[in-house]
Amino acid sequence: MSGPARWVGWAALLAVFFWSAWATEVSATRMVEGLPFMLDFVGRMFPPDLSVIGNALTGAVQTLQIAVVGTGVAAVLALPIAFAAARNAAPPWLFYGARLLLNAFRAIDTLVYALFFVAAVGLGPFPGVLAVIVYTATVLAKLYSEAIEAIDPGPVEAVTAAGATPLQVLRWGVLPQLMPQFLSYTLYRFETNIRAAAILGFVGAGGIGFYIQTYLRGFEYPAASAVLLVLVGMVMLVDFASSRLRARLV
Amino acid sequence: MIRVRGLRKEYAGGARALDDVNLEIGAGEFVALIGPSGAGKSSLLRCLNGMVVPTGGEVVVDGEAVTGARGDRLRRIRARVGFVFQQFNLLRRLSVLENVLVGRLASTVHWRSLLPWFPAADMTRARAALSRMGLGGLEDRRVDTLSGGQQQRVAIARALVQEPRIILADEPMSSLDPALSHTVMELLRRINREDGITVITSLHVLELARAYGRRIVGLRDGRVVHDGPPESLTASAADRIFGSGEAPGGGGGSS
Repeated sequence: MSGPARWVGWAALLAVFFWSAWATEVSATRMVEGLPFMLDFVGRMFPPDLSVIGNALTGAVQTLQIAVVGTGVAAVLALPIAFAAARNAAPPWLFYGARLLLNAFRAIDTLVYALFFVAAVGLGPFPGVLAVIVYTATVLAKLYSEAIEAIDPGPVEAVTAAGATPLQVLRWGVLPQLMPQFLSYTLYRFETNIRAAAILGFVGAGGIGFYIQTYLRGFEYPAASAVLLVLVGMVMLVDFASSRLRARLV
Repeated sequence: MIRVRGLRKEYAGGARALDDVNLEIGAGEFVALIGPSGAGKSSLLRCLNGMVVPTGGEVVVDGEAVTGARGDRLRRIRARVGFVFQQFNLLRRLSVLENVLVGRLASTVHWRSLLPWFPAADMTRARAALSRMGLGGLEDRRVDTLSGGQQQRVAIARALVQEPRIILADEPMSSLDPALSHTVMELLRRINREDGITVITSLHVLELARAYGRRIVGLRDGRVVHDGPPESLTASAADRIFGSGEAPGGGGGSS
């Protein structure tokens, strides 16, 4: 871009920024005025009320379970969709259709799906699982399909040339190239799903979020902070274990 | 063993790779296929195992028509034809042994090949082929930890356990450094002599073709322009294949 055009670009960007800041009522004075209340809020959280640790752990385990089942089912569902959405594996009409659907579904986040499923099947962890499945299946299908498109055709040709059936070509020429990446993506999504599942309780879809919301609404800040501590511990533990596993896959 | 008649191949977009190729190759021959890049060597080799479908003409391999063969019949033909690739085309994350067992897929009960649960006899065959290639003891190594020369020998072992009647090799040494080319060519020669397997290999190095080929077929612009024993590959014959002697208005003279 040449000089003047670049300045116009920057000016437009700044204009959009300040317009948005004005529209969202960003105010330094209100921020400063609110500071004591924030500190008061944080102060009231201490010390954490460890008597609710049992509840927190129950919620944490349920969040973990929602993420495990949700990610697991989504990983299986994503496989056929991914092949349909891979340029080198599907006919054009199927490829474009699958891509369009994937992009549309991916625009909606897990929490929105949770609202929908709570309305459909009632409160509890099950609508949470369904929400995680739908969103994760579309995200994983997109990631898988990109891995499929990056496959090395050489080994596939070699397995075919040895007289293998299409199923054998898939098993011996295609999957060995894809499995490590598929597993790595799936683990990564599992990590993100723990965080997503942690807030599902806010809309009644089970897990640790239910306790966070209940205690905050009831002004039981020490209890809420104890639950948050458990959440932070769980997320860190899962991230650590999962990233160690992923490093071994590549 | 191999009969090619009036073979033509035009790719989408009009590029003509093969133009009326006629060729008869007998059992046990060692044929070096030479020619400049783009002469149609790869296309010809891939027509022989049905990986490329010709536009016209006929290919018969070991008494079976390759042209027009599909499904099980084509797979049965392919099982009897080993193929060695320029880039090895191994599965890099799999072990050496698993890569060689790919050569047994066509002769293993289908569901067992998918598990995989190969018969003990196949494991023995694969190990024997590897030790014959000088790779004994490397069975459990991941293929991508091997050198290029070793990888190409794994690929030859994979072709060998198919117990093929024919081995086709597409520039099998051009991704390797020159010292290793002789190892690979030597192994192909031994397979040809000891097992009586027909070998057809494309080469772009004339010296290798002269040293190892017992018959030399020259391709140029998709046509066979030379066919004879190594002695027949004189300087003028090489010029005819590679076109290096062609000079506009020159006094080279053509017959």
